[in-house]
Amino acid sequence: MKSYIIICIGCLLLFSCNKDAFLKEKPLSNLSPENVLTDFTGYENLITSLHYYTRDELTGDDVYRYFDMFTGTDLCTTGQLAVTQFVNYETYLTPATAAASRTYNWCYTSILPYANLIIEEASKPENASAFASEAQKNAVIAEAKFFRAYGHNILANLYGDICIMDRFYKEPKTDFVRSPRKDAYKLIAEDLEFASKWLPVTVAKNKEGRIVKGAADHLLAEAYISLGEYDKAIEAANRVINSGTYRLMTERFGVDKSKPGDVFSDLFIQGNQNRSTGNMESIWVWQFEEFTPGGGGSLNGNHQPRGWMPFMVQFTDPAGKLGFSLNKDTLLRGVAVMRPNPYFLYDLWLSDWDNDIRNSKYNLKREFWYNNPASAYFGKKVEARTTPLDTMQRLYPYVRKVEGKAWQSDVNNGRSGKDMIIYRLAETYLLRAEAYLRKGDKANAAASINVVRERAQAKPVLPADVTLDYILDERGRELMAEEPRKRTLCRMGMLVERVKKYNMKPETRNSVAEKHNLYPIPQGAIDANFSVKLEQNPGY
Amino acid sequence: MKKTYLLMLLVLILNGAGAYAQTDVIPLKGTVTNHLGEALSRATVTAKEAAVSAVADNNGSYSISVPRTDTLIFSAAGYQEKRLPVITSGVMDVTLLPVDTKLDEVVVIGYGKQSRKFVTGAVTKAEIVKDIPNTSITQSLRGRVAGVQFTDNGRPGQNGTILIRGPRSLSAGNNPLIVVDGIIYNGILSDVNPNDIESLEILKDASASAIYGSRAANGVILITSRKGVSEKPAINVNTFTSTSSPGYKVKLLSPERYVQKILDARRELGQEADPEKVASYMAPNEAENYLAGRTVDPYDVATQKDAGIRSIDINMAGKTQRTNYFISASFADEKGIILNDRQKRTTFRINLENKITNWLTAGTNTMYGRRDFSGILPNLDFFYQLSPYATIYKEDGSPRQFVVDGENVAGNPMYNPYFRSNQQVQNNLFANFYAMLQAPFLKGLSYRINASPNVRWINSYNAVRQDTSLANNTKSASKSLTNYYDWMIENILNYNKQINAANHIDVTLLYSRNSQFSEATGANASLMSTDVLGWNNLGLGETQTVSSSAARIQGVSYMGRLNYRLLGRYLATFTIRRDGSSVFSENHKYATLPSAALSWIVSEERFIKNSPFVNLLKLRASYGAVGNQAISAYQSLSRIGTQRYVFGDGGTTSLAYYPSNMANSNLKWETTYSTNIGLDFEVLKGRIGGTVEYYYMKTKDLLVTRDLPRMTGFTSVWTNLGQVDNSGIEITLNTTNIRAKNFEWRSSFTFSSNKNRIVHLYGSDTNGDGKEDDDIGNKWFIGQPIYAYFDYVFDGIYQEGDTDIPAGYKPGYVRIKDVNGDGSITADDRTIIGQGQQPKVRWGLLNEFTYKGLTLSVFLNAMQGWISDFGLIGRGPVERSLNFIDYGWWTPENKSQTRPSLFHENKYGHNYYLSRDFVRIQDVALAYNFPKAILDRFKISNMKLIVAGKNLHTFTKWIGADPESGETARTSLYPMPRTVSVGLNLGF
Repeated sequence: MKSYIIICIGCLLLFSCNKDAFLKEKPLSNLSPENVLTDFTGYENLITSLHYYTRDELTGDDVYRYFDMFTGTDLCTTGQLAVTQFVNYETYLTPATAAASRTYNWCYTSILPYANLIIEEASKPENASAFASEAQKNAVIAEAKFFRAYGHNILANLYGDICIMDRFYKEPKTDFVRSPRKDAYKLIAEDLEFASKWLPVTVAKNKEGRIVKGAADHLLAEAYISLGEYDKAIEAANRVINSGTYRLMTERFGVDKSKPGDVFSDLFIQGNQNRSTGNMESIWVWQFEEFTPGGGGSLNGNHQPRGWMPFMVQFTDPAGKLGFSLNKDTLLRGVAVMRPNPYFLYDLWLSDWDNDIRNSKYNLKREFWYNNPASAYFGKKVEARTTPLDTMQRLYPYVRKVEGKAWQSDVNNGRSGKDMIIYRLAETYLLRAEAYLRKGDKANAAASINVVRERAQAKPVLPADVTLDYILDERGRELMAEEPRKRTLCRMGMLVERVKKYNMKPETRNSVAEKHNLYPIPQGAIDANFSVKLEQNPGY
Repeated sequence: MKKTYLLMLLVLILNGAGAYAQTDVIPLKGTVTNHLGEALSRATVTAKEAAVSAVADNNGSYSISVPRTDTLIFSAAGYQEKRLPVITSGVMDVTLLPVDTKLDEVVVIGYGKQSRKFVTGAVTKAEIVKDIPNTSITQSLRGRVAGVQFTDNGRPGQNGTILIRGPRSLSAGNNPLIVVDGIIYNGILSDVNPNDIESLEILKDASASAIYGSRAANGVILITSRKGVSEKPAINVNTFTSTSSPGYKVKLLSPERYVQKILDARRELGQEADPEKVASYMAPNEAENYLAGRTVDPYDVATQKDAGIRSIDINMAGKTQRTNYFISASFADEKGIILNDRQKRTTFRINLENKITNWLTAGTNTMYGRRDFSGILPNLDFFYQLSPYATIYKEDGSPRQFVVDGENVAGNPMYNPYFRSNQQVQNNLFANFYAMLQAPFLKGLSYRINASPNVRWINSYNAVRQDTSLANNTKSASKSLTNYYDWMIENILNYNKQINAANHIDVTLLYSRNSQFSEATGANASLMSTDVLGWNNLGLGETQTVSSSAARIQGVSYMGRLNYRLLGRYLATFTIRRDGSSVFSENHKYATLPSAALSWIVSEERFIKNSPFVNLLKLRASYGAVGNQAISAYQSLSRIGTQRYVFGDGGTTSLAYYPSNMANSNLKWETTYSTNIGLDFEVLKGRIGGTVEYYYMKTKDLLVTRDLPRMTGFTSVWTNLGQVDNSGIEITLNTTNIRAKNFEWRSSFTFSSNKNRIVHLYGSDTNGDGKEDDDIGNKWFIGQPIYAYFDYVFDGIYQEGDTDIPAGYKPGYVRIKDVNGDGSITADDRTIIGQGQQPKVRWGLLNEFTYKGLTLSVFLNAMQGWISDFGLIGRGPVERSLNFIDYGWWTPENKSQTRPSLFHENKYGHNYYLSRDFVRIQDVALAYNFPKAILDRFKISNMKLIVAGKNLHTFTKWIGADPESGETARTSLYPMPRTVSVGLNLGF
């Protein structure tokens, strides 16, 4: 029967050929690891991602992820009256809320795995041909290790015991366990020792922003403090301080050096951040570049002005008209996310109110003049106000470090194109001071602090007066809006104590409790890790 | 009935006419109509003895010459046959009664056709609703097919979603496979003109759909376009115009409530809240408008008053001995409720088939659709946040950037429509070229080859003009071009033979290759030197960026099917399909998917065959496997993403690479094993008929994007896991309730219920509790539906005076239930609180009343037993100058037990849930067929006038725009239009 023959042929067709080449997938427009891990440019580009995603702590989230590090601390509260950001610790920082997971998820899904991929792949013998020399390879690994340490350090400071991420996972895993905080700091120190050894001392102008040896040593100083190894911390700090590469600026410099101001304000004038501009104390600077693809991050631009500046566009003159109009050079749109506490605005400066240049009008803006031409009060000084809306949200003194020119001239988004200093030599001095103090050497601690104070024309501190609280105060004066404050406070275990003392809002002071010295592990992480119960931090 | 006009006469003298003496033959004429007086065109009149026959024309008129002593048999599809002796007067007008039976209906089953009677799988032939003006297929099928959920958000040209028998797949697609004229169609259903469709079949069980193997897991929809049916060319013109208004307006704060909100908010924040001083609490321009009594309503500002549809469709069809053709053109202009929400669609189709020789036929089905979505919509986020005291326009008539002084959270909804322009056009050219050979050496053996290209291209151009009130350069433009090129070649061999009286076989074999290619190119220019050239000269931008991408999927398929029929009542179908697809990992490119179905036509058995009561009783059972490959290309591979960074001041862009996903080298097919038991019945000459189906579907190796612990470095990974079961019943019942002279009442009821549950996930018990692990991270729980809501249980609102208000809490905050009763609220108090995405029960009820030429139809559509989270009840920036849904917040006076206070904090991050249940009066239509007598004078063969209303009323507790689309984000809250249409169908 012919029909049977046909059926048989059909069956043959059905079960024949299994190895059809056309079913093999070759991505047409997606790069794959095989394409990029085999040459040096590929590794350089992978490193660039680490810079992008690290900067994205600020630029990848409008007003929360980075600004969380300041609100609800001893120095800052939330200015907008109705915004709950770290106003009530009990309701704002819980395992279920985004406050707990923002930083956590960002570190674990960007910097850490991306760094691990580079470290693993660059170390493989089969990829050795991508590098011209062992030193070149190690420099790549060193930069990746710096970022791995940077990410782990953020997590360990905030969350205590953490899941250490020391490899690039290629398969799902649901049985993570938390390692002791100390183990994390050990890995951080190891990574940074390697980074310090292999990173370049400085980079060319067109590479500014890349990680240099000084950045690794700076962070290493902090990591050794966390480990209780104070001599090593001092040694690491000294490698920066005594390198001859850096010095605290003591003379006016940069683009506005002939305009009214002082050396401290020069450090933060737009265009004065990178080393090639003459700023000899910046160690690591996040880069922003207007009108250039990639120059701005996910949300385009440095939104420090948005976060720190008062909600001045809402401020009305006594006649009920808007008192301020935005201007791309002088007034960007602030939305009052971070309003300094009176402790920062007044108490910290009492001893040196007139002489400490960090309290000068070039660095701390306390007086305002109506600038809206449509207002009858144009050009007049803003008079004292008393309602919370006016004094908490719409107008308050702020640190002028955050000022900058409007991102691509758009005044409405509160972002600037100013580079942002992440590590600065002044902080290295304060880290060294902390190490000396913890070691019991108050004289050297005071000496370190006084280098910083001397430049600021503040009176020197007496060794007897140096305490951890004093160092935190000095960090406030010197590094306000620069150091992610909450990470420092959590690292030192002093968040709760300082918030209870210095935060201006009773609700914050009353709701902060012992458990808040560490962040809660996000419930989402506990839920997803269903094979092993990830322990929650105590108290949550 | 007297006939004056005979427009057409068709006499086919087959043979032997000459055998009768001339004198015995007399001419006869007359009309054939039904009980409603409608002409039955194409009714057949046959002389029993003489074997002479004639076909009635469009007016039901026939004429025939027959022997005086003969008997005439009058028959028409769907009507009871009538036998009458020849009347010598020469005029015989006959009325035929309908039989209602659907037994003889031809059903398309994929790679072939079958009489409904012999179908073994669960195949539903959907009625294309002709009386209700629609421009899309999903709109016309909403609620009308048991077990199929068509959802539609009522927007112009937006493709609705289709879900057959519930979701099997967690994250791979749940969209059914669409097959147009036998060819797998990857385009958008909205490109197909509903007036071009002859029939639409839905293959629901594995047996029916197994022939489409790996693409069929979500069911298959077969669309067959029309052909010519008569030698006389038929020309039809369908046109309608409709007007739409919002079926429901989301209730925003009225100006009075907005003022109350300001006062309540200030009071809760502990600020002065004096009603006399409200103006001073507002932004300056709000205060001005408030004091002047000026208010704005977004529904007045940002909607289009002429919403509605204007549609015209013309088609021509006919056939000759060798050629069959159907040619159509249509144009529809649809305007939605929201300003500039618009689609202009043009479609053309040509179906042409030519019998070249007795053994060779070749033809094409080709369609082209062009859809133009140009128009910039207002930003709906801003629409729903528009303060009632906002100022939209400046004095010069141009829109302000921000509508409230100092308030930048929401911009001006009218800003984009004013400053932006775009061109968004989607083109689709879909064709099949085929040839069919009848083997001359073996009767019943045929071969068909299909070659089908599908080219789709999308142009998306945008331009932004300079807002001269801003200092920065806002001029930008972009062009994006996307091309798709899919092709498929199919070789189909068919052998159909009645072997002997008892045995009949029908064998189909298939070999096919297919490929899907897509590419996109985008170019952007910003900081342009001028905006006068729009997007046409991107070189004028100071900053220019380009992007491009491409992807290709390859596939190959082999299929064999055997239909076997024994004694005309025992039926069996066996199918096997083997598919290869490039999207899966190296070791899992192929899947082999078998199925079998058995069917017993009980009513053909002797003991029941002659029953006057039962016309059909058929039992069906099937089991089979179908696959799902609905994931995009390259998912199993690890890929590198790109970003950009700029090092150094004045530096250039550096490219940044990062690993963008976790690879899965074992990614394989998702397979659904489905059992289906069906019963088809027709009783009382088809007055009552219907189908009952029970199914149980087991889906294994589900393709899922599994949410990962972030400590892995990734948020999710594509993987195969576990098993999900779907089981349910579907009932379709068609009845003719009343049939009287000139009046008829018919009903059609569809009901379906699907139960979905997860049976296995990873098969692991890592926590050692003796039960398989749930995956709380993904909210997947063994024994629960895929879309289960797992959350804290809402337990009212803390009131003033309550003594158990927790630390940090205030009256007006949400009380959470201590589910496990341990005295504190912890993560362990979360539980399953309901099912989302899919209702437990769906039903539809259609009633049609016909009186003479007038037909009234009323269709109700309902979905019940589902909830959805609704975030817009949660706390927004309520202190700002923004509007929001008036959810009736708690205040010390309004002691709500369901709605929290304005500033309540949500410590547990729980959601708010609303029922999505609804019953909708979806379609009401009145159609009038003009009587022949009138039409004949104008040489019109038929004319129908239709008045129809859509979405007339919805009974629901949902407070969003519409419970059916269930959208919960402000940017998706498009009002469901309530539409009234007037349409005219004309046939020549």
